[in-house]
Amino acid sequence: MTDRRRGAIALEILAVLLFLLFLFPFFIVLVNAAKIPFEITQSPLTFPAEWRKIVDNMVTIWTSVNIRYSQSFLSSVIITAASLVLLNLLASQAAWALVRTKTKLSAGIFITFVAAMVIPFQIVMFPLLTWFREIAQFTGIRLLRSYAGIVLAYIGFGMSQSIFMFHGFIKSIPLELEEAATIDGCTPRQIFFKIIFPILKPIHATVLVLNGIWIWNDYLLPLLILGKGNSVMTIPLAVSNFAGAYVKQWDLILTAILMAMIPIVIFFLIAQKSIIKGMVAGSIK
Amino acid sequence: MKRTLAILASLIAFAGIALMIAGCSAAPAKLTLAQGKPEIDAALKAYAAEWSTANKVPVTIKSVGGSSGTDLGTQLKADLAAGDMPDIFAINGLEDYKEWANLTLDLSGEEWVKNTSVAFKVDGKVYGFPVAVEGWGMAYNGDLLAKAGIDPKTLVNYAGYKAAFEKLDAQKAALGVKSVVSMAAALDMGWVTAHHNFNSLLSNGLPYGDLSVVNALLAGDVDAKRLGEYADWVELLFKYADKTVLTTGNYDSQVGAFATGKAVFLHQGNWTDPNMAQAKATFPMAFAPHGSMAEATDGIFAAAPSFYVVNKNSKNVKAAKKFLNDLVFSEAGNKYMVEGAGMIPAFSNVKLNPTGQLSKSVQAYSAAGKVYSWSQYYFTGDFRDKTLAPIYNQFATGAIDKAKFVELMTKAFQGLKK
Amino acid sequence: MRKAKHPPVFWLFLAPVLVAFVLVIVVPFLLGVYYSFTNWSATARIGENLAFIGFGNYAKILKDPSFAYSFMLTVVYTILNMIAINVIAFSLAMLVTQRLKGRNVYRAGFFVPNLIGGLILGYIWQFIFNNAVPSIGTLLGFDSWAAAENLVLAKSATALLALVVVGAWQYAGYIMVIYVAAIENIPQELIEAAQIDGASPLRRLFAITLPMTSQAFTITLFLTLVNSFKQFDVNVSLTAGGPAVMFMDQPIYGTQLLAMNIYNQGFKSNDMAGGQARAVIFFLVLAIVSVIQVSVNKKKEIEL
Repeated sequence: MTDRRRGAIALEILAVLLFLLFLFPFFIVLVNAAKIPFEITQSPLTFPAEWRKIVDNMVTIWTSVNIRYSQSFLSSVIITAASLVLLNLLASQAAWALVRTKTKLSAGIFITFVAAMVIPFQIVMFPLLTWFREIAQFTGIRLLRSYAGIVLAYIGFGMSQSIFMFHGFIKSIPLELEEAATIDGCTPRQIFFKIIFPILKPIHATVLVLNGIWIWNDYLLPLLILGKGNSVMTIPLAVSNFAGAYVKQWDLILTAILMAMIPIVIFFLIAQKSIIKGMVAGSIK
Repeated sequence: MKRTLAILASLIAFAGIALMIAGCSAAPAKLTLAQGKPEIDAALKAYAAEWSTANKVPVTIKSVGGSSGTDLGTQLKADLAAGDMPDIFAINGLEDYKEWANLTLDLSGEEWVKNTSVAFKVDGKVYGFPVAVEGWGMAYNGDLLAKAGIDPKTLVNYAGYKAAFEKLDAQKAALGVKSVVSMAAALDMGWVTAHHNFNSLLSNGLPYGDLSVVNALLAGDVDAKRLGEYADWVELLFKYADKTVLTTGNYDSQVGAFATGKAVFLHQGNWTDPNMAQAKATFPMAFAPHGSMAEATDGIFAAAPSFYVVNKNSKNVKAAKKFLNDLVFSEAGNKYMVEGAGMIPAFSNVKLNPTGQLSKSVQAYSAAGKVYSWSQYYFTGDFRDKTLAPIYNQFATGAIDKAKFVELMTKAFQGLKK
Repeated sequence: MRKAKHPPVFWLFLAPVLVAFVLVIVVPFLLGVYYSFTNWSATARIGENLAFIGFGNYAKILKDPSFAYSFMLTVVYTILNMIAINVIAFSLAMLVTQRLKGRNVYRAGFFVPNLIGGLILGYIWQFIFNNAVPSIGTLLGFDSWAAAENLVLAKSATALLALVVVGAWQYAGYIMVIYVAAIENIPQELIEAAQIDGASPLRRLFAITLPMTSQAFTITLFLTLVNSFKQFDVNVSLTAGGPAVMFMDQPIYGTQLLAMNIYNQGFKSNDMAGGQARAVIFFLVLAIVSVIQVSVNKKKEIEL
């Protein structure tokens, strides 16, 4: 027992050390967010003279007329939330359908999704815009400079990886569960929503977190689809003006990173709980 | 509940009708300007807002720049694909112009053309409004030179620099400097070596606009004497530079070394003025000519590197033209350019002076006519970044010697011959 | 039970996904591949005169040694990075699924590097390699650490390793999350049974944990393969492709990975169609390699 305890303590210490190592960049971001830009490039490892400057920077960023931070924040939340909800729902459905239908077509669709993940973004970026413009001309549905377009794009680009992740985990769910439900008279849809969907909770949380970070921090896709300075803007677009070709306002850049991180860290911690809950639920079954 | 719904429905219907009516009248003018300098975004937006109110034309400013993959070129390509090109946008010289030539409006008839000598011209027609004059030479720290007993007036040729560098190098400890020159030659600083420094080879000592060296090199014809002298100069700069900054440093570390008094010279241009302000560097500083030749030269390199062009297909050409003219001829426009954005105006009628010391130095050289061209744009970005920059980088890291440097440069130029 | 080959629910569940996929990926992709056979510029240079030029753009690639070099470099980088990331990520996942007091906090902590975009991360590490490492060296009495020629980023071989370090450190937390989900999905009874049987921790790892997480390995190996191959942000900000090396008697960028090579060809050299052609080759190679990887892994899953 004492051996075990000693082992546990050693593990805990190891974890703390690794934790600090991984937090090092965050530390650099934090201490430098409160310095004047020039100090940052000259002595980035020292503590700032005045921590209060972080708060001042946050206020500057939040209230600046040129940046429109609060408005962009709202847009970012709408885009991220809508994309995540749709991605998780649609991808888990599709993955389930693909796993439980064992045909050549089904396998072919799956492989196509996997292959799509390796497409370099560069091949599609400009053609996507031209194509979206064509769609607008023929159907009147505005996909450029609009929420609908960017959410659709995120669903398209995020779908492959999400399906891929759900696919792997759904395969490990025993088929007997579903068979029992079929005998009880459940329709396939009911089986999915009542039985499979809840079991997938931990992987839902994982997919949410991974996609969430990507969408929240993404710069290039919003730049292309929404463009800068238009009515719908995301946070990364809004704060990008701090980095000029010559003059980089590192204090504001780093503060903006901190501000953008806060929601994701909270989101991550909440999702963690659900991963744990999912584990408990899984062990009950 | 029902009543709310009814009100909502009628509101939507009303909004729909209003939209239809609005759709019937001619679209009101509005301007979009896309430019690549995020550092002047705030000043430009403030001016644009003022101009909007006065002219009843809303103006949207889009500033895109900074790091790779996210520059103005990407945004313009995206805007073109999306069918949403701005009315005014910035281009950087000839190579950019070729990409957008089909879209640029002939501005030869504009008022401001008469007041500038650096408008962007192709075949005698004016297409680009010069955003600002920029210049570079060897920026020096006046205090340190005085302390070391060096007269900046001697810094006009290779021999003058060599003597000064040797003298300064011997007094490094006394002066409190780490190195004589702050120079950068890492590959991402290729614009310092393969664009700016390279231009010394092309135009130093030649009359403004003289393309004789450029054309010879483009034809694969290398003047061994000129290239040899230039190689001596490059070697000298690299030899007396801080090796860490030289081989792995970025813009911030290069400029920082000079701004904090750790280096006597800086191989950069007047765009470093805001960095000097950030660093609170108040020592006297100015530019000296390059020492890339044995013969003395007395000017620095100055030009307008970026231009506003007007989109030919824009529905708001009139407003766009007025916006540009007002920059030059209105007091608010002048104030924005010089005081707001801290730029050196390219127009003779603008009487305001920028406050930055290095900008003032560029202005002084321009006023005295002691300027040489920026001719590096006659070589493609591909050639400069992909072919030349690695050669400079290898020379800087010591992987190759001067003889090999000359050999590789010669081979590169000979490869240009079609 | 077995009725139609593809029951209605199959199409019902797949329809929205397929529509989005066709709209966002398939059509633009085909259009993009088409552009690689043309003189497309993405700008107004060619106006409306898009011309089909066959394999011209592809022929040019063969003449450019920098592409071959970047290709080989990317393969080396990908192998090193895949090993580094997966070993670290799996170890971290094992660690944070133990009964540790602050395991949720650790998980969040290991994940933090991911929240800082690759570009900024590269700049931070550039500073660490250029300034922090020499200062620490001087502090410890190793003055040679501070010599310009000994800096990690001053030589192409060590600069490539630096890319691996940063890549692993950025991505390990991300991959860890997937391993964690897989490990926590292992039925508790299995582990308890093994413990009662007196299986050593190492034996439990090989007999239970690894086989039971094999589907996760399919995913993680694939993701690390694809993402290492596509590495761009850290490459641009940490080394910017430098320092230069001699290759086939030409000085070229010594640490330029494929994605950066493609980007520079398209944007810096104003050769969008050429960049497009490079990207198509990149796609074909990566697609083949990754499909092989996934099918091999899938077979392993069944065996285990």
